[in-house]
Amino acid sequence: MNRPIAGLTVVAVALLAGCGGADGKAADGKKILRVAYEREIDLLNPFTSQNLVDISFSMIEGLVTTDGHNRFVPVLAKTIPTKENGLVVANPDGTLDMTWPLQPHVSWHDGRPFTSRDVCFTWKFVTNPASETYNREQYLGIKDCRTPNDTTVVFRWDGEYAYYDGLFEAILPEHLLGQMTAEQIVQFEPYNRGSKTIGTGPFKFSEWKAGEYIRVVRNDHYWRGKDYPKIDEIVWAFIPDANTRMNALKSGQYHFGRILPIQVKDVAALPGYQTYLIPSNSVMHLDLSVKTPNGKALFADPNVRRALFQVIDKQAIAGQLMEGTVPVANSPINTTSRFYNPAVPVHPVNPDGAKHLLDQAGWTIGADGVRTKDGTRFAFTILNRAGATDRIAVAQVIQAELKAIGVEVKFETLESAAWTERWRSSRWEAVVSAWFLPADPSLTGLYACDGANNMTGFCDPALDPLLKRSDRTLSFRDRKRDLDSVQVYLAQSARTLPLYYNVIPELVSTKVGNYRGSGTNFGSFWNLFDWTLAP
Amino acid sequence: MNGYLRRRLIQMVPLFFGVSIVIFGVIQAAPGGPEGSLLAAGKFVDPAVIESYRRRLGVDQPVYIQYANWLGATVRGDLGTSFSTSRPVGALIAERLPATLELMGVAFVFAALVALPLGLVSSRKPGGLFDSIGTGTSFLGLAMPVFWFGLILQLVFSVRLGWLPVAGTGTIGASSFADHLKHLILPGFVLSTRYIAGWSRYFRSTLLGLAAAPFVRTARAKGITEARIERVHTVRNGLIPVISIMALNLADLFSGAVITETVFAWPGIGRLFVQAMFARDYPLLMGILLMGAATVILFNLVADLLYGLLDPRIRYE
Repeated sequence: MNRPIAGLTVVAVALLAGCGGADGKAADGKKILRVAYEREIDLLNPFTSQNLVDISFSMIEGLVTTDGHNRFVPVLAKTIPTKENGLVVANPDGTLDMTWPLQPHVSWHDGRPFTSRDVCFTWKFVTNPASETYNREQYLGIKDCRTPNDTTVVFRWDGEYAYYDGLFEAILPEHLLGQMTAEQIVQFEPYNRGSKTIGTGPFKFSEWKAGEYIRVVRNDHYWRGKDYPKIDEIVWAFIPDANTRMNALKSGQYHFGRILPIQVKDVAALPGYQTYLIPSNSVMHLDLSVKTPNGKALFADPNVRRALFQVIDKQAIAGQLMEGTVPVANSPINTTSRFYNPAVPVHPVNPDGAKHLLDQAGWTIGADGVRTKDGTRFAFTILNRAGATDRIAVAQVIQAELKAIGVEVKFETLESAAWTERWRSSRWEAVVSAWFLPADPSLTGLYACDGANNMTGFCDPALDPLLKRSDRTLSFRDRKRDLDSVQVYLAQSARTLPLYYNVIPELVSTKVGNYRGSGTNFGSFWNLFDWTLAP
Repeated sequence: MNGYLRRRLIQMVPLFFGVSIVIFGVIQAAPGGPEGSLLAAGKFVDPAVIESYRRRLGVDQPVYIQYANWLGATVRGDLGTSFSTSRPVGALIAERLPATLELMGVAFVFAALVALPLGLVSSRKPGGLFDSIGTGTSFLGLAMPVFWFGLILQLVFSVRLGWLPVAGTGTIGASSFADHLKHLILPGFVLSTRYIAGWSRYFRSTLLGLAAAPFVRTARAKGITEARIERVHTVRNGLIPVISIMALNLADLFSGAVITETVFAWPGIGRLFVQAMFARDYPLLMGILLMGAATVILFNLVADLLYGLLDPRIRYE
């Protein structure tokens, strides 16, 4: 062997030596959890970030979170106030005092004590329009915040507000940010970038390498006790490409990663890993709009909508297209929610019945095979979001199925931001889309006449009182009754066609213990303090 | 030479200004605004929050005012603040540039070391076995989609053989120089294939053209050896057009490789650009695109100056 080749060989051997999977332990014996993360995050402020969730919740805690059963559980709150436990008291003037007892002996990562003043400060920040908190609206019912002592906070609400228990998913440190305006906080780089990102959570910020990873390390003074957390470090490696993430997981270098439903089969037999299909509160659905002249001509008649919905075979979409990874949906509310109504009527697949309904409505087959009525062809466009391959595939199935009854479907595909802009301006006829509902769902924003996200143009005065009443009661029974009725009404009036509930396939190393996957907007890392990592 | 250089540098100013207008116009013409990222996750967003967000970013202003504000700040050396991260654009680019320069630099050097000898050897016996294999491989290199090739290499070398890491620039928490080099191999190789394929074919055909040139015929008639003809006459002349192509490609060093960086989770400018594009992060997009434009203009000038070094007959006036 000549000398250059020998040299190269030595370098190659040196490079290749030591290549292998993550065993969860660093050379110094630390337990390091490696996460192949699907996003690259923007900033660390939990209220202004658009895509932070999981990483944030490892460091920053709120009053509540959601567990693996779609239920709210207290974190910094000792208990969630209810009328039944006496912590929610109605005042004679119609207002409501809600008392949150807080965990004692909690410290921020810089050693300063966490107190009720931090909670009131967070409320003030969030309700300021300049905070740019996406769900600011939901906090506006709180008119006052009082701190009788360091471990008690009392909110005065302007009345009953059903999903109060899903608010305050994060608390901000007053001692760090209290002297700033909301605008300054939003742009405060040390908090946004980590050098001063402090929380009360089980892990502390350690390092953010732009475009590559975020590393958090064990908080040795975590309030749950010295036994928590049970791992030393977490590394969140940003691997946005789904195929690369899949390869990274297959190579054994990571302990956790989210994959696509269509990749599930691929990893079914991957040794050392278990795939969990986490039911999420996200429902894939077909929405029709009556805001354009064509949409109004086609979809205003509920019998026509019923006809269309009778042709779409949800079972086939879920079973074949999505390879059996997702459950069929008949309501916007997931079956895992206690507000789901199992008595929702379904639209059975019945193409002959659909044809009959369309014939009755005056839509007859024209010379080109497409139905017409008064010179209008039954043709509409589904607005697709580029890159959303699952949604586009569903739209293609719908296109083929509707063609069989003489309905022509065309596609227009726009890039994400353009799609959103078009969707918000109501210049569309149909979309296949998904809503991500909180664990305690409100349907008002989606289906009320003035709902902030009702872009379909449908307005039913009979539905509005039910929706609004369901938002303004703390009684589970009353709320369930109203939401049950709303779900039945939506199905009967064929307002929207729920297709299937999205699942979040999570590939988890068998070395990881105490993982309790959650499909809410809080995600599966809600109990990171309890996760274990075997060597 | 100095006068030529000065004139070319002055000409860059209006060119740069024109490019900035075009880029700004194209970015603004794209439908959707930065608030799209607020809504993309399917969350229910308070419309007042959207208004407040647009006002803070200044995108509620007419386009010409937005451009004037941007231009004024840029002339003062401030590329603005990124919409999506609230950080200075200059800092974001500076943070990502080293990774891109490193990856592109490695790919560039490797490609040059392989492509030029490959083109030279192929040109010696056109149609021969080596040339045929070289031509076939080059077409394969040009035709193969980068993302597919990258994923296949990951499957083979990372998943199956376990020799090389899948993505990133180093093993987090346990990185070393050797570990970093291992992370460079796959993306560097994938990226270099398109350069190798293009440059080697280009160099080969240039050399073949020169082999029939009158001055080469004359040299042969004078009894000069083939090796000397190649070294003194054909290779040197053949490098001139190849260098202009390479100089144009050099601009890629700064603009990054979008697909390769995405497939290998490489934290470079290319990935930053993709993020900025989806977030409609106008200042960041402007910063990255203008840097790309500036480097193309600059490296064109560098190529023009290099011609003179390779061919003494070229004079600058």
